[in-house]
Amino acid sequence: MLKRELKINGKSFMIWTSILVLLFLLVALIYPSIINHDNIQMMDEFMKLFPEEILKAFNMDISSIDSFYGWLKTEGFVFVLLITGVYASILGSNLLVKEEDDKTIEYLNSLPITRNHILSSKIVCGTIYIVLMVVMVGIFNYILLRLSGDFNEKQYLLLSITPLFSSLPLFVLNLFLSTFTHKTKKMLGISLGIVFISYFLQILSEINEVTEFLKYFTVYTLANIRHVITNVELQVSFVVISLLITLLFGIGTYIRYNKKELV
Amino acid sequence: MKRENPVLEVKHLKKYYGKIKGIEDVSIQLNKGEIFGFIGPNGSGKSTTIRTIMHLINKTSGMIKIDGKEFDKDDIVLKEEIGYLPSEIFLYEDLTVKEMLDFHESFYKRDIHARRKELVQLLKLDEAKKIEDLSLGNAKKLGIILAFMHEPEILILDEPTSGLDPIMQQVFYQLLLEEKKKGTTILYSTHILSEVSKICDRIGMIKEGRIIKEERIEDMEKNSLTYLTIDSEEIEKIKKTLNLKVIMEQGTTIKFVNHLKPNEMMNLLSPFKINKLLVEEVTIEDLFLEYYK
Repeated sequence: MLKRELKINGKSFMIWTSILVLLFLLVALIYPSIINHDNIQMMDEFMKLFPEEILKAFNMDISSIDSFYGWLKTEGFVFVLLITGVYASILGSNLLVKEEDDKTIEYLNSLPITRNHILSSKIVCGTIYIVLMVVMVGIFNYILLRLSGDFNEKQYLLLSITPLFSSLPLFVLNLFLSTFTHKTKKMLGISLGIVFISYFLQILSEINEVTEFLKYFTVYTLANIRHVITNVELQVSFVVISLLITLLFGIGTYIRYNKKELV
Repeated sequence: MKRENPVLEVKHLKKYYGKIKGIEDVSIQLNKGEIFGFIGPNGSGKSTTIRTIMHLINKTSGMIKIDGKEFDKDDIVLKEEIGYLPSEIFLYEDLTVKEMLDFHESFYKRDIHARRKELVQLLKLDEAKKIEDLSLGNAKKLGIILAFMHEPEILILDEPTSGLDPIMQQVFYQLLLEEKKKGTTILYSTHILSEVSKICDRIGMIKEGRIIKEERIEDMEKNSLTYLTIDSEEIEKIKKTLNLKVIMEQGTTIKFVNHLKPNEMMNLLSPFKINKLLVEEVTIEDLFLEYYK
């Protein structure tokens, strides 16, 4: 069953991963012609025009965009976080409910397997693809960085795995929510809403002290890129919370799915 | 009729969707090697009963037993003994028939490939075809193969012949009889009443979520009733004397269901002057229709 799950979800994995890979390839190719010794000072002056809060929101206050690596640390990882988040959410919202929406669950349920078996196959498939996406994008960017110049390898390694700490909870959260519905259409809107609202709340929480409390309402707090850039280490407490949330919603999904009416 | 050691036993099964009734009280027992016709009008609760038995939906109360053991939704040993054919077949459209059958085979520990080949040949299904390209009839054939290929002890079939052409229907009836000979127990839900009298041993009729009749087909045939059509000038007197349940009345002619034996009826009618008398056998379909109403 896992083999089939991997097969049917392989195409969308390739598409989403290709989007990220092509984006970074494009930026890596054109970056040297945009940013060079002649205009870097002009760029720095231009950046000063932006309010500090905005720069902070994109980590531009602690990292310069004077190189491909600099761009990757700031804007680049915004794309990685958002795209892996969207992919993980869509996957989570789709994997279980699709069987009900397509009515294939009636067949699947008649097989000599438990509901836990069905769910586990879906969770393992989703986790494999999310991890694989992060790893593949990480390796691809590593190659691009090696070709483009010097960079902090340890910092990059930690940065490249950080999206996992937002994507995995988003995947399992959406999987859990999908146990309350039978239609993929309903879930798609909800899952995209969760990603973008989460990201928006995270940006707002970085802007000033008044909005700082919003960080407690977004999973993107757990993918703390800022901490990795400044301290060259993962924020262990956030990693633990991320894993706990994933585990909690994972258990919730098993409980809910076992009680769910499938048609 | 209750028997000992039923293969499938459903006891006081109830299903409510919140306050809305699905089924109220369904109790049936299926014995080894028996084809049990499960009939009832639309919305009577046939599919709800079957889906509850299959644990697709959760029962509100009641019990489902297979071979005397309570059937839990995660009991994969018992699940392996069930072949299920839903009324509408929804399978993985990206697969070919061969891939679908391979996928199905992979879930069973024992080798079921030989039976699969036999069934594919019998039902004349092209394994190279993609499922999305299958006609309704061919999709049904594939559903039948999937339900039968692991040689289950119990077959739960919901409208199995819908979509099959008349020749394939005959092949299917033959297949059912072979399964019956092997001792397979079959729950056969259908709307086609002629099928029931042809292949079932016993029927259970469901109406408004309750079993309203359970009888052997043999017994129904033995106790068969007749329709009597009488034309007489004294028709009003006849109606009064015999206290009839008239199903048709036109001038001096009436048609009614006769529950009496021929000689008893002749005795009762002898005082009257009868112009015409027509006796017709009530078919099992007619009887079912009476209950449906």
